[in-house]
Amino acid sequence: MTMAATSHDTPVETAEHHARKQPDRTFWLLAPGALWMLLFLVAPILMMVYVSFWTQTTFKIEPTLTLKSWVTFFSSDTYLGALWTTVRIWLIVLVCTLLVGYPAALFVGLFVKNKTLSTALLVLCVIPFWTSFLIRVLAWRPMLGKEGAINMILMKLGVVTQPIEVLLFSELSVIIGMTQIYCVFMVGPIAFMLGRIDPSVIEAAQDLGASFWRIFRTIILPLSMPGVVVGAIFVSVMVLGEFATSAALSGRKVNLLGNIIVTQVGSLKWAFAAVAGVVLTILMGAVVAALLRVVDLRKEL
Amino acid sequence: MSSVLQLKNVHKAFAGVPALSGIDATLADNAYISLLGPSGSGKTTLLRVIAGFEQPDGGEILFAGKRVDSVPPHERGIGFVFQNFALFPHLSVAQNIAFGLENRVVDPVTDPKVVAARVRDIISLVGLSGLEDRATTQISGGQKQRVALARTLVTEPSMVLLDEPLGALDANLRMRMRSELRTIRERCGVTFLHVTGSETEALAMGDTVLVLDRGRIAQSTDAGSLYSRPASADVARFLNCYNIFSGTVEGEGFHSPVGMLALGGSRQASGTPAYAIRYDRVSIRPQDAAAAGDEVRIEGSFVASEYSGAAINSFFTLDDGRVFEVETHLSHVAPTAYEERGRYALVWKREDALVFV
Repeated sequence: MTMAATSHDTPVETAEHHARKQPDRTFWLLAPGALWMLLFLVAPILMMVYVSFWTQTTFKIEPTLTLKSWVTFFSSDTYLGALWTTVRIWLIVLVCTLLVGYPAALFVGLFVKNKTLSTALLVLCVIPFWTSFLIRVLAWRPMLGKEGAINMILMKLGVVTQPIEVLLFSELSVIIGMTQIYCVFMVGPIAFMLGRIDPSVIEAAQDLGASFWRIFRTIILPLSMPGVVVGAIFVSVMVLGEFATSAALSGRKVNLLGNIIVTQVGSLKWAFAAVAGVVLTILMGAVVAALLRVVDLRKEL
Repeated sequence: MSSVLQLKNVHKAFAGVPALSGIDATLADNAYISLLGPSGSGKTTLLRVIAGFEQPDGGEILFAGKRVDSVPPHERGIGFVFQNFALFPHLSVAQNIAFGLENRVVDPVTDPKVVAARVRDIISLVGLSGLEDRATTQISGGQKQRVALARTLVTEPSMVLLDEPLGALDANLRMRMRSELRTIRERCGVTFLHVTGSETEALAMGDTVLVLDRGRIAQSTDAGSLYSRPASADVARFLNCYNIFSGTVEGEGFHSPVGMLALGGSRQASGTPAYAIRYDRVSIRPQDAAAAGDEVRIEGSFVASEYSGAAINSFFTLDDGRVFEVETHLSHVAPTAYEERGRYALVWKREDALVFV
């Protein structure tokens, strides 16, 4: 392995050496993007961290540094509850999108041999985005509601005697809604990775005597892991920052960190909102960092 | 010699277009068999049907005396070496080789020590020692070829199918791998069926050469007989060492587009009448030289020649515009310089020609 490493490293080093000789004018290509990010992403986030230590009174906020907002956040059941709900819903939605998305990606990426057809199927996954979020949420109400379609059918069939109330304005409806919206972000990257698997590699495994499940476990799954990780990062970042779905589908029963921030900003409690924002940012960073540990994306992509 | 694989009237069509139209063949046990065919002749399809990746539309495939048409690939015990090697990209060399032993449905090897020992044996057999822990992206083309072969051989198949195994290698390596493949096969004692589009490879490698033409086995014989006695004009054309004239036999002559060619020697029934003369059986003489009584003589203008070390190939255009090739071996004669566009007599012995009727 050491031999392999050295023989592999040498050409890379010479390539870098070669690049170093040339003046780095190409770096200017990065300037607009870097400037933009600095002004409108990095600076505001640093500002948010700063504001979270300001002194908050009922009507105004003063730049006197204090830990009061942080202490309030971590000693309040409401805020800690919201943090826990966010983490719980994130995990459940992540698992659901994976369970729904992986088989779909397997079909689109691996079993559809025709490239045009598989692209068409991927486009189909994006169709939910052709309607507005509000309209979809509105459409779910007659479906999931107490007198909605699902309850009516179940009662007609005699499966239940009382309408199931938990279908709408509950954590369940939030999970159903989020899984539906974010599933495509899981399907896309996984289907892409599966599509890159050479069909003869799978035939070779078959020829060597392995059954389909063995091939799935030992060949297909490991080769699609980078796709799973990328999909999981997409879904995680979006679900952790969610507030709209829970506001619309839970009837304010489910409070995520995102909802807390919206409420606090609404009542001009900037310091509290900043604390929740910093907590959320740290949580997202930790999740992304943990997911990146699963697979070495630089090596795989 | 007993047979390992028998094909009886095997048919296969893709969307109505026949790829295999009635293959009959018997492959001997413990032999190196090459399958020669031009592109589109159905050779890859035949290999995939034998391996079980494609279902035949009709006919029988008998492997070691048992019908395997409906047996899935992983239960057939036939190894397949892919043209692009199809190594598992996320596994090391040793893990690639161990894959079949550990994961097969039939009789998997669960003891890691046994797996390690058998992997070690096969790695030294194919000459990969020292590369066990390398990633498959860190080895050369020839080494990948060996991993692909070792991965199949370690499962002890009764037969190995190789789909253009040398096609992805550079010319130098191809020559070396030829003898290497033969040596490895002799050590294992299993039948190799080697598919190739190259006539030199087919002749060099095969104890038996099968020639596939338009979905049928056109000829099945040893390399020497194939080269000197192709069964039809089409087979002669694949061998790339015959000048072929179409025409008709009229009495004691063959009526060809370049005139009457006197007949001598044997005639073979093949369906399509044709007259074939090997490149290296023709001698080039000045235009005014007379031919002897047992010789055939035509005329052509010199175009160019190609020097390949041991031989020189000269190209002539005949009166009907076709190109006529002559191979002169240089072991006994010095190369002669011919005048461009000059007329020369091209002469060969009557009995050297092959006549198909």
